[in-house]
Amino acid sequence: MKKLMKFFWIGVFVITIILLNINGIIAAERPLRTNWTWPARIDPAIGVDTTSTVALINLYDALVFPDVNGDPQPHVAESWKVSDDGLSWTFYIRKGIKFHDGSELTASDVKFSFDRLRTIGRGYAFFFLGQEMSAEVIDTFTVNIYLERSSGPFLQTLMYFFILNEDLVRANIEKTGEYGELGDYGKEYLVSHDASSGPYMMKDFSMATSLTMVVNPNYFLPIDPNSPDEFEMIGTTEAITVRTLLAKRELDIGDVYQAPENLETLKNIEGIEIAQFPVPAVWNLMMNTKKPPTDDIHFRKAMAWATDYDTIVNYIWKGSIQARGPIPHILSSHDPTVFQYHRNLDKAMEELKQSKYYGQLEKYPVELHWCTESAEEEKPAMVFMSNMADIGIEVKVVSVPWMLLLKEELSLETSPTIICAGSNSPYAEAGGMLELRYSSKGVGNPNQNEWLQDPKFDAMLEDALATVDKDERFAKYNKLQHYIVDLCPTIWLVDRILCSPFQSSYVDWYVDEPFSPIKGHYMVVRNIKIYPEKKAALLK
Amino acid sequence: MEIIKLIIKRLFYSIFVVIGFSMLIFIFTRAIPGDPARLALGTDVPEWVAEKLREEMHLNDSIYTQYYYWVKGITKGDLGISLNTNRSVMTDIREFFPASLELALYSGTLMIILAILFGVISGWYNNTWIDNVFRVIAYLGIVTPSFVIAIFFVTIFSYSLDILPTIGRLSSGLTPPPYITGLITVDALITGNYKVLIDAIKHLIMPAFSLMMGPMAQNTRIIRSSMIDNLHKDYTMAERSYGILERVIMFKYLFKSSLIPGISMIGACLGHLMGNAFLIELIFNWPGLSRYGMNAMLKKDLNSVIAVTVVYSLVFIILNIIVDIIVNTLDPRIELGIGRGK
Repeated sequence: MKKLMKFFWIGVFVITIILLNINGIIAAERPLRTNWTWPARIDPAIGVDTTSTVALINLYDALVFPDVNGDPQPHVAESWKVSDDGLSWTFYIRKGIKFHDGSELTASDVKFSFDRLRTIGRGYAFFFLGQEMSAEVIDTFTVNIYLERSSGPFLQTLMYFFILNEDLVRANIEKTGEYGELGDYGKEYLVSHDASSGPYMMKDFSMATSLTMVVNPNYFLPIDPNSPDEFEMIGTTEAITVRTLLAKRELDIGDVYQAPENLETLKNIEGIEIAQFPVPAVWNLMMNTKKPPTDDIHFRKAMAWATDYDTIVNYIWKGSIQARGPIPHILSSHDPTVFQYHRNLDKAMEELKQSKYYGQLEKYPVELHWCTESAEEEKPAMVFMSNMADIGIEVKVVSVPWMLLLKEELSLETSPTIICAGSNSPYAEAGGMLELRYSSKGVGNPNQNEWLQDPKFDAMLEDALATVDKDERFAKYNKLQHYIVDLCPTIWLVDRILCSPFQSSYVDWYVDEPFSPIKGHYMVVRNIKIYPEKKAALLK
Repeated sequence: MEIIKLIIKRLFYSIFVVIGFSMLIFIFTRAIPGDPARLALGTDVPEWVAEKLREEMHLNDSIYTQYYYWVKGITKGDLGISLNTNRSVMTDIREFFPASLELALYSGTLMIILAILFGVISGWYNNTWIDNVFRVIAYLGIVTPSFVIAIFFVTIFSYSLDILPTIGRLSSGLTPPPYITGLITVDALITGNYKVLIDAIKHLIMPAFSLMMGPMAQNTRIIRSSMIDNLHKDYTMAERSYGILERVIMFKYLFKSSLIPGISMIGACLGHLMGNAFLIELIFNWPGLSRYGMNAMLKKDLNSVIAVTVVYSLVFIILNIIVDIIVNTLDPRIELGIGRGK
């Protein structure tokens, strides 16, 4: 017995020694630690989620880069011209941009990357697969991209076209692959390596936990000396973990998926603020325009009038603003003159009485589906159910796992009456959102439960998207927005905002200018400043 | 010699178990609704890309054809590509399995030591205040979910006292040792990197304790009950009447026999330590197989789900063999299933 106790106390002693051990770890001077959903897919032809996009934006360069309004500015391409018919785009590549291995970025790398993206067909390739496109090297620093049909937002989409080091990828191709002599096109290599020229270079990547990058000292643009010299993306969004890390100052910027309750707690920690920034996304109630009773425009308008937007904006999605039409306010192509509904039960009843389903509502049940994995959709769904009861419409709210939701949306027959879902504009123009949400080409997925399939809308949209002149194109977008709002296929609830806790006492995160409304561009690390001395003072 | 025969025989039968199990899981995963290609690619990619992926994965073929291709791949050591990580499942297993194994080994070791220690002490001092203290600890361990314990540890040791790291296997800024076994502590020990060894142990403390508390509590109670049961047996009274010291009675005569019921339970618990660590791995951002497997199931990553299931079934088989050997060593009267009728 005594021996047992002896061993026990020896064990306690050893553990105590370990705990008291001084941590002699060599760390970066200005590290920026952030957390994300995981994993990150750092192959430019594969990654498309937000985490992957943020990684790609910081590792790679694209031909163009967005300004704060989301308009494309010269980046790898120092200038460009487009032919009168809009079918030929010529890009003049900036000289002197070096990949991380020291070789120079040329037109050949652009062509290789473009061909690779279109051939693999994943990631952001969907921007470049809707029509025939090809790239041609004109000279070392000039590349042409040919389109089958003119495309006004083409430059916008190039923000997601990241340029790879052709030689490095070719040197690391796995010969046994599905792309003939190009083997696997470097897919295996690029899962965990970068072939890039961007402001940050890969230091360490664990598919399980994190991605660490270090600053590229040879970047072609100046990087502020107060910008992070190391950027770590940690793969966790667990509330207790995030809270602990932020409190211990081991996390500098938190993710955008934290629940409101956790954000409230985090606000109370000294030195932490909650950044709120709009993104080009809208929360919607998508009404099926081909199934009763929502196939009736008066029924849909009645629901739009009966919805309590104020409660949703002020109590559920606090800090957001009520949506006005399908295009978020943050986009410059948003039309502020489109009609906006407000709760008015008299007008709701007026519309309902004009509906062919009035007086027999019980024969036409309304089901609202929301995605189980997206917990924030539940409350607005319940509010909506309660609102509709005020005008005698019974709504059944059903939580559906994402897998099943995808399956439901494959056909009109299985699609529910209404879906509560958020929509993100693929690029910073109304055309992207309108095409995503209402084009007949996009039916069969949860971005569209409306099943609008309106030939007139499709023709107007195609015409707008083919318009190269920006002002003309935007004017056409405005007409489309009015057209859609008049049809009322959707109840547009709020323009989405994201909330992210960060260490405001020593991190300058877009203090001087707003974020660019392009996916992932709220985390352009070279534009962030971090002050370790302020952090040290806080830790004392 | 008999032990070797046992191992060979059990391993031979295990092949059929694993085959049968893999078939079951193969069918089951394909019965779950959802299109793996669409789930992996997202809603924006064109249909032809999704269809190409379905062709590559043989998802449009019959289930027999799919199983044939899977078995064909297995024979070449190819478990397929993970739709989630976009790389070979074998590479994923090689990365994630050692992390789970390391956590399970440490938590398992702690579980065994503490369960035996507390169980024996509690049994020996039954119905005293010492016994009551250990019983309360045991009850708390049983009723409290492991993730609650984990949150409690994080709040106390990481947040309030700031003496233990919150997440991961190593601190940022430390380079992991070269991959020999995949267990960071072992690899660090082998390469003589003691800074990494101590840092890795510090990272293991909270996850290991959180994971082992429930099973430890259960086994403590089993060993305690067994101990008390044996304390009142005739042979114990006889030993006392011969004047044999209490200490000798406890460690020489009672200890082995009291452990037998506990060992079987410990074996099952060790398997569960690996398979049920999902929430612990989530809270501590531990890159383990349990979390990998859960994510694979949620995303219908078929190849990964089957691979994880096969790995865990092998773990359980090996553990069962080890437990049987230990039990037979403790009490040779217990048949190993060899030499029946002798």
